[in-house]
Amino acid sequence: MIDLSTWLWPGAGLGLVTELQQLWWNFSLSLWLIAAAFSVSFMANTAHKARYWLFFSLSFAGNLLLIAALDAVSFYIGFSLMSLSAYGLVVHSGHKTARRAGRLYLQLAIVGEFLLLAGLILRASAADGQYDWQSWQQIPLDHLTILLIISGLGLKAGFWPLHIWLPQAHPAAPAPASAVLSGAMIKAGVLGLVVFLPAGDPLLQYWVPYMITIGFCSAFFGVAASLLYQQPKIILAYSSVSQVGYILVLVALCWTDSAALVIPVLMAYASHHAFAKGALFLYAGLNARHKLPAAWQLLFWLPALALMALPFSGGAAIKTGLKNLLGTVPLPGWLNADLLVMLLSVGAVATAILFFHLAAALRQQWRSHQQHTAADWQLYWQGGCIFIALLVLVWLPWHWQPLALLTEKTLNLKALYALCWPLLLALLVFTAVRWQSRWQLSSRYYDRPSIVILWSLKLKRMYQPQRQWQAVRYRFNWRNVERLVYRFSPGGVMGPSALLLLMLLLLANLLW
Amino acid sequence: MSAFWLEYLPLAIILSSLLPGLIIFALKEHQVKLRITLNMLGAVVKLILVILMLQAVKAGQIFFFSIPFLPGADLVLQGDALSLLFVVLSSVLWLATTVYAIGYLENSPLRSRFFGYFSLCVSATVGLALAGNLVTFLLFYELLTLATFPLVVHRGTAEALSAGRRYLIYTVSGGLLIFIGVALLHSQLQSPLFAPGGYIDGIITEQRWLLTITFCLMIAGFGVKAALLPLHGWLPQAMVAPAPVSALLHAVAVVKAGAFGIIRLVYDVYGSDSMRQLQLAEPLMVLAAITILYGSWRALAQQDIKRRLAYSTISQVSYITAGVAMLGPIAAVGGLVHLVHQGVMKITLFFCAGNFAETLGVHKIHQLNGAGRRMPLTSLAFTLGALGMIGIPPTAGFISKWYLGVGAVETDHPMMLLIFIFSGLLNAAYFLPILYRLWFVRQTTRWPAERCLSKRFETHWTLLLPMLFTALLIILMGLFASTGVSPLSWAELIVGREFRYD
Repeated sequence: MIDLSTWLWPGAGLGLVTELQQLWWNFSLSLWLIAAAFSVSFMANTAHKARYWLFFSLSFAGNLLLIAALDAVSFYIGFSLMSLSAYGLVVHSGHKTARRAGRLYLQLAIVGEFLLLAGLILRASAADGQYDWQSWQQIPLDHLTILLIISGLGLKAGFWPLHIWLPQAHPAAPAPASAVLSGAMIKAGVLGLVVFLPAGDPLLQYWVPYMITIGFCSAFFGVAASLLYQQPKIILAYSSVSQVGYILVLVALCWTDSAALVIPVLMAYASHHAFAKGALFLYAGLNARHKLPAAWQLLFWLPALALMALPFSGGAAIKTGLKNLLGTVPLPGWLNADLLVMLLSVGAVATAILFFHLAAALRQQWRSHQQHTAADWQLYWQGGCIFIALLVLVWLPWHWQPLALLTEKTLNLKALYALCWPLLLALLVFTAVRWQSRWQLSSRYYDRPSIVILWSLKLKRMYQPQRQWQAVRYRFNWRNVERLVYRFSPGGVMGPSALLLLMLLLLANLLW
Repeated sequence: MSAFWLEYLPLAIILSSLLPGLIIFALKEHQVKLRITLNMLGAVVKLILVILMLQAVKAGQIFFFSIPFLPGADLVLQGDALSLLFVVLSSVLWLATTVYAIGYLENSPLRSRFFGYFSLCVSATVGLALAGNLVTFLLFYELLTLATFPLVVHRGTAEALSAGRRYLIYTVSGGLLIFIGVALLHSQLQSPLFAPGGYIDGIITEQRWLLTITFCLMIAGFGVKAALLPLHGWLPQAMVAPAPVSALLHAVAVVKAGAFGIIRLVYDVYGSDSMRQLQLAEPLMVLAAITILYGSWRALAQQDIKRRLAYSTISQVSYITAGVAMLGPIAAVGGLVHLVHQGVMKITLFFCAGNFAETLGVHKIHQLNGAGRRMPLTSLAFTLGALGMIGIPPTAGFISKWYLGVGAVETDHPMMLLIFIFSGLLNAAYFLPILYRLWFVRQTTRWPAERCLSKRFETHWTLLLPMLFTALLIILMGLFASTGVSPLSWAELIVGREFRYD
């Protein structure tokens, strides 16, 4: 732990004190490094390389800073550094779609930033000038602060209904940037939600059921929306919206008194999703550029099946863990545990359908390439980067303590059955719909441009007005009035009145 | 420090810029080297003297110089913590602006006149900062008006002359209002020294209305220079002046003189208790809040860089007034520290605007496309200044916004927090598009009037150096705000002394 309070503000410090911070640090750092290694070769022949690396390293630094922060101000510095520099990554390609997505991203990033700032200011004044986490966690919250912090950080975490920038910005960025946007940066928002809102706060309990509801909405919305798109990266972005929904459920459970049980599952979910989604985005970037050899599909199916919770994968352990958690943890408010567990099973089917849909979209893209790419060392390097992410993914469920404990629980027939039937059902539904083309929506429902870009444009027109209300220039020409008076007054009245005025002035002078 | 220095140091600080200024008036146009030497000598000597004074005031010594002037009102120069805040700001930025102006006005006519008035203007600013009572303050305040007018009309174009006329009408009538206010107060209480907690409590019960009217008159007078809402009209026009003048006008001399006057009036003449009794703080705060939003809103539509910056100044200077009017210690720290932070950030932005105009001939925002590639250092400095204005950490602007926000919550004015947040959004809305053009848009047309001012750097080094210095300050003041040398610690010292009197 580095204590900076003598140099900077009281309570300033950096360090990986809690287990949560250590884990977040580890998976974010690894993912960023993998993405950086991938970029070295992936971005080698593109324009504006220096700008790309500048913004990449700035947001990298911001992300690590906010994880290692031991006080709110350091967190906020890292958070703004990361959010604002990520804009440079989103608009990097310079295409029209990227610029529009970037505008929306920046608008919402700034709004989120200021919402968070307001929340922090309220918190800081409640904490009486202390900024470190420990003192903040002793202070009870109020509803306004909770709302500000949830919406400020939620805009980064990207759950429904604050997700609107995410399906625009993630696909627009270059593949390694989307990997870190989806894998690491939205997790930064999640981390903030856990550390800013302390577990067991009495007012926060009111929010838990609503946040769990929002989480499930987000999970299903993400899947439903993704099915309307054909572009692999958009599908992946909506998949992030859906997965963040589950993470949000875990975050909300963290706020209850049973936080100690929930945090291992949350950590497992976040890190697993980070590596899997990162690998998928990288693969989607490769697939968009090259006609990959058939064996390379392994790089797609491994993370996809892990996220679909195939038995013996990390995803399976996490899904089972989440399900057990909902069954055992006392749920606050009007939530029904059985209903939630059932929703989880339906959610597993939905997730599986999403990834089958993604596989079809990738296949489509693969077909559209004219000729096979000869695999040169650059391609091997990029594939190697994905492979490293996958190695971590395969290694995690068996050797990393929290996840290994969860994995053990899936190794019985009942759990295996519970994991398998959603996959089989999803496969059935998916093939049935593809086979029976009249069950599909007509093509006009697919790939529609999103309305949010239009909102963003309208907002931009509001703050960049071409003309504005101008103060009326008030010019009064006394000469006209004088003329008018002169015209309507009888002849010879001007001379005597001027004389009268002069006399009055003289009189006043004398009497003074 | 010896008794001699305790008495004469304030005078020496004023004279260190006044005397070179008066000599410069007498110089011939071609005596460039002598003029530069005199200017730099004055600026450096002043800075050294100010640093000496700073050390002594920090240690608790009080500087006091007085000569008889009017019955009941001596001409008093006094170095206390609050005046030092403004004196240090103006001396440091004067040094930077002098270097900048030397490069900016190279080979242009009438430089002796310009630099003469320039020094006079800074002497007046320092004088009003050191003024120990209202009459002395008024004297320097009017001197400042007169010294800045020739700078505003320096170019001599029709536009400059009309802006100058407007400036003079506004400021002279503002000065008149202050004069009436000072006279009214003087008729009741004479003009005692500025004192923490004010000196009007004695007559507050019987002369309630007189005090209220006096306050309104003086706020209206100071409001002209501080560009409070209905009185801001001169500021966007005055940006026709050369860049160093606009920089000094917006950052230090004129608008800050108004803001500083408001601080003195609220804390050292009326005092926060009397302000509460007379219920004068709330209206002032509301006025400041409206100005904050109005300035930001008008800035959105401006297409001229300097005009947009001018409207931004209107908004940002009212942060100071708002911080002062909230009457809480933390809010006061925010307001006072913003006096310094806004000065440094705005002067950086105006230096950058001047560099773009001088090197590329760019005056409009849409001409800035791709300037980040041609002038990376200037664009970087502009970026830092703009991010500071928005309040992105770890810049200086974040510190003042943070303290103002915490102060708003602490004094139970949650609406003010909302206004600061909303104004921050508006700031982002009018600064970020400029940054976008600088860094992300490709240059499509040729620069309007490109000049090659330097072989090695993007522009002349005298234009570059002051700007980089102030840009560096923005980061340093933000990052090391809690250390003993920061403006924030000084503002806390002032507030500690101002709010300790009871």
